Amino acid sequence: MPDLLSLLTSLAWPLAIALAWLAGEFGQRWTGLPRISFYGLVGFALGSTQIGALPAPDMGPVSLLANVAFGLILFELGNRINLRWLVNNPWIGVAGLVEAALTFILVYLVATAFGTGRLTALLMAALSMATSPATVVRVVNEQKSSGQMTERVLHLSAQNCVLSVFAFNAIIGIWLFRTYAAVGEALWQSLVMLAGSIVAGAIFGVVTPSLLRAIRNPQQDSTVAFALAVILLVALCDSIGLSPVVAALAFGLTVRYRRVAFTQTQRNFGALGEVLTVLLFVYAASTLDWRLVTAGAALAISVVLVRMFAKVAGVTAFAHLSGVTWRKGALTGLGLAPLAVFVILLLEHARYAGLKVVEELYAMAAVTMLLEVFGPIIIQRALIWAREAPETSHAA
Amino acid sequence: MPLEAFTPSQPLTFGVELELQLVSLSDFNLTAASPDLMHLLKRKPFPGNVTPEITESMIEINSSVHTAYEPLLAELLEIRDTLVAASDVLNIGIAGGGTHPFQHWSDQRISAKPRYEYLSQLYGYLAKQFTVFGQHVHIGCANGDDALYLLHALNRYLPHFIALSASSPYVQGHDSLFESARLNSVFAFPMSGRAPFTLTWQEFTDVYFAKMERTNIIKSMKDFYWDLRPKPEYGTIELRVCDTPLTVERAAALAGYLQALCRHLLERKEEAPVEDDYLVYNYNRFQACRFGLDGSITHPKTYENVPMREDILATLEKMLPHAEALGSVEALRHLAAAAHDGSDAAILRRHVEREGSVEGMVNAAIAHFRGGRAA
Repeated sequence: MPDLLSLLTSLAWPLAIALAWLAGEFGQRWTGLPRISFYGLVGFALGSTQIGALPAPDMGPVSLLANVAFGLILFELGNRINLRWLVNNPWIGVAGLVEAALTFILVYLVATAFGTGRLTALLMAALSMATSPATVVRVVNEQKSSGQMTERVLHLSAQNCVLSVFAFNAIIGIWLFRTYAAVGEALWQSLVMLAGSIVAGAIFGVVTPSLLRAIRNPQQDSTVAFALAVILLVALCDSIGLSPVVAALAFGLTVRYRRVAFTQTQRNFGALGEVLTVLLFVYAASTLDWRLVTAGAALAISVVLVRMFAKVAGVTAFAHLSGVTWRKGALTGLGLAPLAVFVILLLEHARYAGLKVVEELYAMAAVTMLLEVFGPIIIQRALIWAREAPETSHAA
Repeated sequence: MPLEAFTPSQPLTFGVELELQLVSLSDFNLTAASPDLMHLLKRKPFPGNVTPEITESMIEINSSVHTAYEPLLAELLEIRDTLVAASDVLNIGIAGGGTHPFQHWSDQRISAKPRYEYLSQLYGYLAKQFTVFGQHVHIGCANGDDALYLLHALNRYLPHFIALSASSPYVQGHDSLFESARLNSVFAFPMSGRAPFTLTWQEFTDVYFAKMERTNIIKSMKDFYWDLRPKPEYGTIELRVCDTPLTVERAAALAGYLQALCRHLLERKEEAPVEDDYLVYNYNRFQACRFGLDGSITHPKTYENVPMREDILATLEKMLPHAEALGSVEALRHLAAAAHDGSDAAILRRHVEREGSVEGMVNAAIAHFRGGRAA
């Protein structure tokens, strides 16, 4: 008979996922708040440094599954991105650049005002530019929202991710070279990494639809085929040092231009995607340490507020020029609040790449925890206020 | 409240209404974009008029009142270009076609307008299933009696308009095997079908409408979803059987054909309509919906069975003198070519075959609406 401890250990993840799912279902029913907020709360509570039901994060199978889940969501996001829109209506791209740059500057200033080291402040600023695509895509799908705010938040979150991955890697590069003289070299390497990831994703985006056409069954088999391709791509990028985030985005984007559209019934990659999403959000929150969260609380609250201000101001400023009301512009900025999962996975990657500097980003732990719970709520409310989602998600 | 008097209007003036699909360019499904589009269009003058429809993934545009085909076509093209420019700013596709091939009715959102909310309450899921897209053509009439005469005299030609505009072969992801599946959705409404056989406006209002009003089912003419209905406030009859074609050129041509036909019928050289004409009406209508140009038509007076295409081409030929008088020969030529080459429904089916998916077909429909330019 196996001893009780090892039995409980092996059951930890399946039980945590089941518990989180239940919390999400009941929580959503009782409060109307997004399910993923509850997944995050359960994950955080069960984390190794809190109740300790879940083991400390490592690069084991759960981490890989979380990365796959994230890859699937990014593929779906990429599939919804229309680059031609950014050409037809350049003010959207400009708003994104301004909002991201403003976020970078303001977060850096706030972090240094709190006495954070220069490099750590730069990394925080780079991470704060991002908008978590996992949260955005999940809430948009859960709310069945559609309209300009929905479209713009999706496009801006993709743009923000690429900018953030680029800036984060560039700064890490500078840290590795230990000298600011190497800025050019670091930027170049970060660009090469981005380009490599885009090429990898694009190759998958050309090959997979061609295979599907060869099978002559693009409608039925596409979910399974795309899921398998994403798993392969994520694992590949992981092992050769490319960004799975950018690659999965590029994959989705290329598939879109091959006109093998992702049909409604396959949103979230069906049941497989649902299960992996629960795991992703539980895993992300379980990596957080409550001591770090509380230690960085004051700075975190300031960063969250200043980040929100920068995003709302940056997007609102270009609302009229880009063809929507001021109100919808402001709500779009608010909808860019989610951050958590993206940052956690990026940090986990950096940590396992052996970058100790990540440990100093304690305030980011608090920022991510705050936004893991509140990010989905903020974007959900913003979508409802923009009248792009029905008040109850159950309405037929 | 008794039915209002029939406002006289200049005979044979005409105008077009088109219900259009608002499509997401990410997945080619319908998207609830009408509030955003309406906001953007309000910012600069719009040729004609644009209004929200029952669900937020549709809009309706209408032309001004015209006397001739050329200016009508010019206005529709200008409306089309304005819409296309706005849709580029908002990342949506705009398309004709009588149905969206794979939208799910339950995903549609009812527009926030009291009448639509009332209809949704009354008709339940039928209201959302009414996410179908039609073209309406109004023809001005000098008085109510002329309107009712035209309305009934047109019964024999109505299948032509169904077959020539048919562009709704796909429903809920599958080929319906109908050329126009849209009209089946309209038929679900209790007040759809044909108008009662009355040839004088006085009888229509004092007897029929007064009785219907007493039943409390009907409050205004808006509550009827007839294939052809009088519109007393505009002084027109309104043809409602057409699917929205893939292009505004086809829409203008259909209006030109109806105008010429009405001119011909008002000469009253054809045998007058009688109630018995309607014996074959529903079957002819079915033939046009199911088989389109390849269907057949049973003549209501002679019971002779004629191939639809032949009947259309012969009628177009017969209408040429009227078209010359009205300046719409081009419209008839356009339709004759369409009758030879095949309907929009046939074009859509070809796209599904070529692209391998219904999403590819929607993409092609968007390109057709834009005049062949890529979205």
